[in-house]
Amino acid sequence: MTAAALLPSILASLPEIIVIVGACILLIAGQFAPKGQDAVLVWASVAVVLLAVLATFTVSDGTQPAYTGMFVADPFSIFFKSLFYLSILLTFLLSRNYADIEGIGGSEYYVLLLLALAGMMIMASATDLLSIYVGLELMVLCTYVLTGFLRREQRSNEAALKYVILGAVSTGIFLYGVSLVYGLTGTTQLDRMAAAVTGDPLDPGLLLAVVFIVAGLVFKIGAVPFHMWVPDVYEGAPTTITAFMSVGPKAAGFAVILRVFLNPLVASSNVWIILAVIAVVTMALGSFVALVQDNFKRLLAYSSIAHAGFAILGIVAGGADGIASVMLYLLIYTFMNLGIFGAVIMMRNGNFSGEIIEDYAGFAKLHPGLALLMLLYLFSLAGIPPTAGFFAKFYVLVALVERGFVLLAVIAVLLSAVAAYFYIRIVMVMFMREPDRAFEPALTPMVGAALVVTAAGTVGIGLFPAWFLKLAQQSAFGG
Amino acid sequence: MAFPLLSLIVFVPAAGAAFLMFLRSDDWVRWAAFGFTLLDLALAIAMLSGFDAGTSEMQFVEKQPWVPTLGITFALGVDGISALFVFLTALLGWISVLASWIAIDRKVKQFMVSLLAMQTLMLGVFTALDLFLFYVCWEAMLIPMYLIIGVWGGDGRVYAAFKFFLYTLAGSLLFLIGVIVLYFEGGRTFDILALMALDLPFDIQSWLFFAFLVAFAVKVPMVPLHTWLPDAHVQAPTAGSIILAGVLLKMGAYGFLRFSLPMLPEASVYYSTLMMALSALAIVYGGLLALAQDDLKKLVAYSSISHMGFVTLGIFALNPLGLQGSILQMFNHGVTTGALFLFVGLIYERTHTRSIADYGGLMKVAPVYTGFLALFVLSSMALPGTNAFVGELLVLSGGFAANLALGAVAVLGALLSAAYLLGMYRKVALGPATVGARFKVRDVNGREMAAILPLAVFVFWVGLYPKPFLAIIDSSVTHLLQQVHDRGNGP
Repeated sequence: MTAAALLPSILASLPEIIVIVGACILLIAGQFAPKGQDAVLVWASVAVVLLAVLATFTVSDGTQPAYTGMFVADPFSIFFKSLFYLSILLTFLLSRNYADIEGIGGSEYYVLLLLALAGMMIMASATDLLSIYVGLELMVLCTYVLTGFLRREQRSNEAALKYVILGAVSTGIFLYGVSLVYGLTGTTQLDRMAAAVTGDPLDPGLLLAVVFIVAGLVFKIGAVPFHMWVPDVYEGAPTTITAFMSVGPKAAGFAVILRVFLNPLVASSNVWIILAVIAVVTMALGSFVALVQDNFKRLLAYSSIAHAGFAILGIVAGGADGIASVMLYLLIYTFMNLGIFGAVIMMRNGNFSGEIIEDYAGFAKLHPGLALLMLLYLFSLAGIPPTAGFFAKFYVLVALVERGFVLLAVIAVLLSAVAAYFYIRIVMVMFMREPDRAFEPALTPMVGAALVVTAAGTVGIGLFPAWFLKLAQQSAFGG
Repeated sequence: MAFPLLSLIVFVPAAGAAFLMFLRSDDWVRWAAFGFTLLDLALAIAMLSGFDAGTSEMQFVEKQPWVPTLGITFALGVDGISALFVFLTALLGWISVLASWIAIDRKVKQFMVSLLAMQTLMLGVFTALDLFLFYVCWEAMLIPMYLIIGVWGGDGRVYAAFKFFLYTLAGSLLFLIGVIVLYFEGGRTFDILALMALDLPFDIQSWLFFAFLVAFAVKVPMVPLHTWLPDAHVQAPTAGSIILAGVLLKMGAYGFLRFSLPMLPEASVYYSTLMMALSALAIVYGGLLALAQDDLKKLVAYSSISHMGFVTLGIFALNPLGLQGSILQMFNHGVTTGALFLFVGLIYERTHTRSIADYGGLMKVAPVYTGFLALFVLSSMALPGTNAFVGELLVLSGGFAANLALGAVAVLGALLSAAYLLGMYRKVALGPATVGARFKVRDVNGREMAAILPLAVFVFWVGLYPKPFLAIIDSSVTHLLQQVHDRGNGP
């Protein structure tokens, strides 16, 4: 490949290159930064992301394939990259003070987050099973390390170890599926796979391969039966990392699943039945187990399992509306979930962990404004209008009913009524109990800014969903 | 573009809620809430005075695109069925503020904000011409109502708030699926008027009818989905009870009138006997339960179940008398039961007990209070000359015309209501003045009078001269019945 032929590819992947180069520079420069000057690192990381944002939107021009079909910069990937930028920027804002309190604010923390971002971006753009694998591994390796970042805490170490082992197994399963696909079709490129198979798409070998690939990917989004790691990792990891993992890497997993399912080969097989079962079981497990949690982070872990189940329903529905509904769901979920995690992160101050739900008793009496924000996120997660969470679920249901899956839609709404119970239970603890302690939320300007952005998204998309809906639809059609 | 009167009516309380957030003193908050609800009431009266009773068309219609790619519009309008409820909501909203003046003494600001938010959403439900908008308002009401019951309620408030929330949520979620199915059947539109013109196959109508039924029957509430109501009523603060009984319960019945009947006419005709039987059951069962209550609020709550039974009976009689009667009766029930909850709240503020056994001879210490109480008790048991007499008479005439046996059962309910209401009044107001010896009871003051008098006016107005009210309802009812019977005489 000549340099001239390489140029378009480089341009198409410029955002990824910027993030990776930026992360490497920060890794080295971070060693020379004087102690206690961590704020510089935060702003430098933000600057790297903003540069990548700039690159994404200046070079975006329709669909640009790159690297001989392994990579593509298209509206679909740009939608997801925007979502990743949003989640990583909010994570930076939330991290600054929390990292100080926990004593984890070294340059590695931000560098690893940037590298995870690069991995996610590659996943969103990858059109070859191998480039998907590269992105996936880059992302999960960073999150393994970040999970164990609370070096002195046993549960953080335990969570990281658990995550590594289970994650490695799932990656192995994924790779096994890829090798089967290669053996059967002679290619790992998503586009060429369909062309290579002329026979029955229900060939058992191929079906097995698809099931293996799906299993590997489903692990990353934490759906049943590959969900066991989620509660432990979410509880053990630093809360900022939990917040990040619940939206960014999860959305990246969905991006890959959507990309694989856009593939006519997979779409023509009956994999949707497997997905429908996974979706229902995932929602049911997440909703019912969350009912008995008293740790806020574990509850949010099960809640995120339930939400993943709901979003999978959009993939089951398929079609343009189905794909767009998943994308919109993930975007809205990013706002509301980072919002509620932001509130939990803010509560971590002094010797108050903010992780036990009962500890929030009477919070509304002492801090009505912050309690109102949390109420907003919680009702949005429960899917009550006029918040964005309702519209996210509504659009998935529309896509389901459009395809005739009325029974699935009924199951979905009944399970979300179950899920509503544990969200409003937190509201009850905050609003309907008397306080027995004073709260000192660490409401720094950065955390405040993150809360404002997430609240604006949670209410704004709920009241005026038109623009965001159109964005998701256009990105889905373009992909 | 015409003057957006309905938008103004809907959003004035919301603007008030936003404004209240910036006030610091509790007194300012009370007066501001008072001002905004009064303004809203004035606008609602302006709407009624400009209302053309001669047509069944939607009036004051506004239409803005909201989510064009899904065919969702922001569309408002009123016809003869909804106009009275807009007025009732505005009236009771104002009275609720008055009723909470001293009853709510902590977190006043949050309470008034919830109350005003509630009012915007209730008005949105009654004026929405877009199913999506309707659903958003319908469901969003759960948030402020959950807080009103759960934060400012009685001792068992948390349980009651949960029960209210989960019952209503589970009911309305099936309705949501029904709405989406209807959306695709109607060619991707949420326009209520367009959906009314649909001619759906009977089996789809049946499914949708039951999906809608669950949501509406929980709200009304119809036996056997009524068990949330006594808890919610007993635990809610006075204003919450007034809103619950006065407006929220009407929404279920309004849902039948606005959606089930015109959109699913065949199913409505087919299942009308079942619905009338359930209504008659609610009338008698609610009445019997009310007879056995010692708690004043519970008694009024169970009487609500019984009275709402009359409303649904009239609706599914599917004749002009029954429908007119049930719409008028909904208005009457809002006025009368709202007033009864207000009275229970007033006396509870003074004595802090709701047990009937604790009272006796109240007439001697608070003659004005007991005098007005007598008026509303008589109104609630449908004495001729009061508002409920007109409504119940129409409903029963319609009921008898549709089904003689069930009509006869309903009359039994009317007798029961006389028994429990008069029994309650005798124990509370008459006899030796034991209550005066135990509690210091003062009579009603000017502010309380301001809340009582408008309701008393409507008791007599509707009771003696119901014509203007029936005129508003009339042409829409005729049109609705036409919609039902033109297409409804199915298999």
